[in-house]
Amino acid sequence: MPQLKSIKALEDLRNKLNKDKDPQKPCIALCAGTGCIALGAHKLVETFKKELKQRKLDRKVDLLVTGCHGFCERGVIVVVRPEGIMYQRVQENDVSEIIETTIMKNEIIERLLYEDLSTGEKIIFEKDIPFYKHQQRLVFGNNSRISPVSIEDYIAIGGYTALAKVLSGMDPDEIIEIINKSGLRGRGGGGFPTGRKWQSCRDAEGETKYVIINADEGDPGAYMDRSLLEGNPHSVLEGLIIGAYTIGSHEGYIYVRQEYPLALKHFTIALEQAREYGLLGNNIMGSGFNFDVKVNRGGGAFVCGESTALMASLEGKVGEPRSKHVHTVEKGLRDNPTTLNNVETWANVPLIINNGWEWFTGIGTERSKGTKIFSLVGKVNNSGLVEVPMGVSLRKIIYDIGGGIIGNKPFKAVQTGGPSGGVVPASLLDLPVDFERLTEAGSMMGSGGMIVMDENNCMVDIAKYFVNFLKDESCGKCTSCREGLIQMYEILNDITEGRGREGDIELLEDLSWILDETSLCALGSSASNPVKSSLLYFRDEYETHIRDKKCPAKVCKALITYTIDQEACTGCTLCLRQCPNNAISGEVKKPHQIDQGKCIKCGICFDVCKFNAIIVE
Amino acid sequence: MKNNDQRIGVFVCHCGSNIAATVDVKKVVEEIKNYPGVEHCENYVYMCSEPGQQLIREKIREKNLNGIVVAACSPTLHELTFRRACEAEGVNPFRFESANIREHCSWVHHDISSATSKAVKIVQTIIEKVKQNEKLTPISIPVTRKALVIGGGIAGIQASLDIANSGYEVILVEKESSIGGHMIQLSETFPTLDCSQCILTPKMVEAGHHNNIKLYSYSEVEDVSGYVGNFKVKIKKKPRYVDYEKCTGCGDCMTHCPVHYKPHIQPKPEYSKQIEPRLKKEVDQILKNYLPAQEGSQDKEMLVLILQDINLKYNYLPEQALKYVSERLSVSLPQIYHVATFYTAFSLTPRGDHLIRVCTGTACHTRGALKILDEFQRQLEIKPGETTPDNKFTLETVACLGCCALAPVAVIDDDYFMMTPKKVGELLKKYSKI
Ligand SMILES: Cc1cc2nc3c(=O)[nH]c(=O)nc-3n(C[C@H](O)[C@H](O)[C@H](O)COP(=O)(O)O)c2cc1C
Ligand code: SF4
Repeated sequence: MPQLKSIKALEDLRNKLNKDKDPQKPCIALCAGTGCIALGAHKLVETFKKELKQRKLDRKVDLLVTGCHGFCERGVIVVVRPEGIMYQRVQENDVSEIIETTIMKNEIIERLLYEDLSTGEKIIFEKDIPFYKHQQRLVFGNNSRISPVSIEDYIAIGGYTALAKVLSGMDPDEIIEIINKSGLRGRGGGGFPTGRKWQSCRDAEGETKYVIINADEGDPGAYMDRSLLEGNPHSVLEGLIIGAYTIGSHEGYIYVRQEYPLALKHFTIALEQAREYGLLGNNIMGSGFNFDVKVNRGGGAFVCGESTALMASLEGKVGEPRSKHVHTVEKGLRDNPTTLNNVETWANVPLIINNGWEWFTGIGTERSKGTKIFSLVGKVNNSGLVEVPMGVSLRKIIYDIGGGIIGNKPFKAVQTGGPSGGVVPASLLDLPVDFERLTEAGSMMGSGGMIVMDENNCMVDIAKYFVNFLKDESCGKCTSCREGLIQMYEILNDITEGRGREGDIELLEDLSWILDETSLCALGSSASNPVKSSLLYFRDEYETHIRDKKCPAKVCKALITYTIDQEACTGCTLCLRQCPNNAISGEVKKPHQIDQGKCIKCGICFDVCKFNAIIVE
Repeated sequence: MKNNDQRIGVFVCHCGSNIAATVDVKKVVEEIKNYPGVEHCENYVYMCSEPGQQLIREKIREKNLNGIVVAACSPTLHELTFRRACEAEGVNPFRFESANIREHCSWVHHDISSATSKAVKIVQTIIEKVKQNEKLTPISIPVTRKALVIGGGIAGIQASLDIANSGYEVILVEKESSIGGHMIQLSETFPTLDCSQCILTPKMVEAGHHNNIKLYSYSEVEDVSGYVGNFKVKIKKKPRYVDYEKCTGCGDCMTHCPVHYKPHIQPKPEYSKQIEPRLKKEVDQILKNYLPAQEGSQDKEMLVLILQDINLKYNYLPEQALKYVSERLSVSLPQIYHVATFYTAFSLTPRGDHLIRVCTGTACHTRGALKILDEFQRQLEIKPGETTPDNKFTLETVACLGCCALAPVAVIDDDYFMMTPKKVGELLKKYSKI
């Protein structure tokens, strides 16, 4: 492929690509994001290829292997276009039927359709499925339309037009003004206005400046950055190049979490392709602007997502934050001015340039503009990635999109913002989700993790979970964070194991205050949020653990016992056979017993019993 | 006193529940009762109370005890109390010792059985000490009211100033040519980020000029004899070829000295000669991809990337490789280990044939990841971070794999699995054959 030497060359290429494309040609779009791969997407691709070839259809039907569609719960997802028929939970042995029935005969396979949970109705088209219908997929939508390893796919749908627009003579100050007016705020957690960050970095003194993509995504329970990089790496790259041009940077970095090999691979391929097409390197599209990007793998430390730690890590050092009396936009990587933005933030940039700030400010709430991708997971029926305008209520996300709680149990709380966030209780279900409102409710937007919890989730356990995570991830520089979190964990652990004492709650509150006030970076200073917010809304649950030595959600092992209801047990022996520690005894057709001395409280008997005969107390 | 003359009484205190909640005091008594030299042993709620002291006195009379151990709190609290009780019954007070099973044991432990066995060991040690204790009688001797401070770091300087300002004469000995120690080498100090000079130099100047402080720099203490209040100390002034009266400390002579003054630098170990040739070749191959670093960055910036590749190749970081990398990048070995132990991606011990990583991300946690982890632990009989003795499996946890919709998830090598506790056994069976 010849280099795109001018902006016109890009236009020509796009026109040619679109002209060659027959919009009516059948296309099987198959999701091969990490979730679907875990469910066997690779095998499906092979089978589709083989079967299409056998029927001599391989030239007549396109097979599009895409990144994550977001509806991971229902993987592997297959969409048949141009009609837009969506099949879910597709398995290898469904392949020939899809080809024969849907592709060849244009008929629907009922069995593979999505069934609406509330009405029981089968839904044929992707666009009608509630999970998708209530979303507004600006950033994430193209994932299902292109192959992540094809720059041509991206160009065909309008990719790199924003870059072309910028390079065709826009003044950097003009771009900054557009970003400023759009109200775009960082999606990495802090919500810092992106335009202001760029402005400071552009104004900072120094010859060499850097731009960096923060793809460390350490927040456990969030995976939108990964899915964007896996499914549409060019959109992130395009944003980065625009940012670099604006700031006056010629060297960029991406810092990818090491647990994300596929994202790394796809982004690396994207870089190679962009170089090949002259979208990276010297004299990009004949504009005279030079820029290239290097790839860096993280080392598996949560704190390396923090800006100063990330830069230290890029310099080959230990990822310890430093104090930010001098900001990284002035002295960041190698002491040069550096702009660091989150993956999703970068991906928003081309959209704003293409559609204008007026369009962007039309979406969202007063101070939070645009959309946000959330990873909706936990005890919710439709888990996956959802993109909604800022300001949409939790209820809409959890019930309309998420389809409510698994097993129709009552909703208890949703955890947002990851380890720095907090829990939002059922009473706040109508809370509009944006940066300000979540913070007011004692939680945080964070990177967009949303973990839905029902009555079987213990709030003390969740707080303990996050504190445990953070105590392991603290870099250890600040005494308050390093030692404070260990002590906080010990107290929470005592509470969950029945050694809670009066005064423990107050002690936790004191410790929280110390952590907030004396930690250097946001890991430490927001570490107490999970504890504080759960105390705010679920103090009684802590008290029950401490005073009555009971866990109302029946999660804390030390506080529960498993027994068999002698009336209900039919003696089917299922639990007896499944118990991993042989703690259950009994004869066939006679009620069984659990030996409390041997019971390891794994809960398997409870899960397998068909007669509700296992009592947990 | 000969061993068979020992008639020691041991009293184990509950301190209410301070001790008794964590240390099984009855068990301690049982264990100590028959210990050689122990004539009597019992436990009591509060040994320091009046009845407690009476108990000691009673037993001394009754059993003619000649040594006493009270297993209770720190001797800073009640040593005197119990010594007096002994003295009142004619037992030499120095034949008494406190066994600290509170601050050193019950307060800092949770687990009853290990705390109890530690308490037993503490008491036994103290019994042995009492056996060595001689009967002593206090005497009075005159005291020289002067202090010696060894080491002119921040602690030494501050101590000297405090004592000198209280009106006593101080002799401050520093082995280097200047006081200041390690602190003066730091650029800034935690948590205020003040520069260390700002804090230290005023104190150094004050110590140098103080009328009550006699400063011996570039000197070392050679010999200390005597006893409290009457020490004799020999200080060696190292040879100096500088007229101290005239020297201003400008340092010019040092920069011009033909014989370099490098007292701290040891010859560098030559790791490249110690490394196994095959390993060296393979590590060289990796290094070639990164070195020399491109313009604008330095070789040592490549450290994390290089270690990642080494870790990928060997599944862990071999010690020899680390040493070799340290030499090639001119990064000190402690620095290398700092990095190698900071990032969870690195392992310092070899991993097994199959790496099992159980996701403990939030979504997996709420959907029962711990049950999965428990089951792996139970079946493999190892804890996270460990490898089975047959080197087949290594078990680890990972904070999030980004497959939250499939929770709970585990990855074996590179394959992802939606898990149930039951599936653990099936997977282990499958992989143990590969
Ligand atoms: C402990 C800690 C972890 C963080 N992890 C991430 C992360 O994984 N991804 C991310 O984009 N930002 C993370 N951040 C936020 C970054 O410091 C930084 O604010 C962000 O990348 C800036 O980009 P934005 O303005 O586009 O949000 C983290 C911050 C802290 C304090
Ligand atoms: S707050 Fe915690 S993580 Fe942040 S710098 Fe201090 S010790 Fe490190």
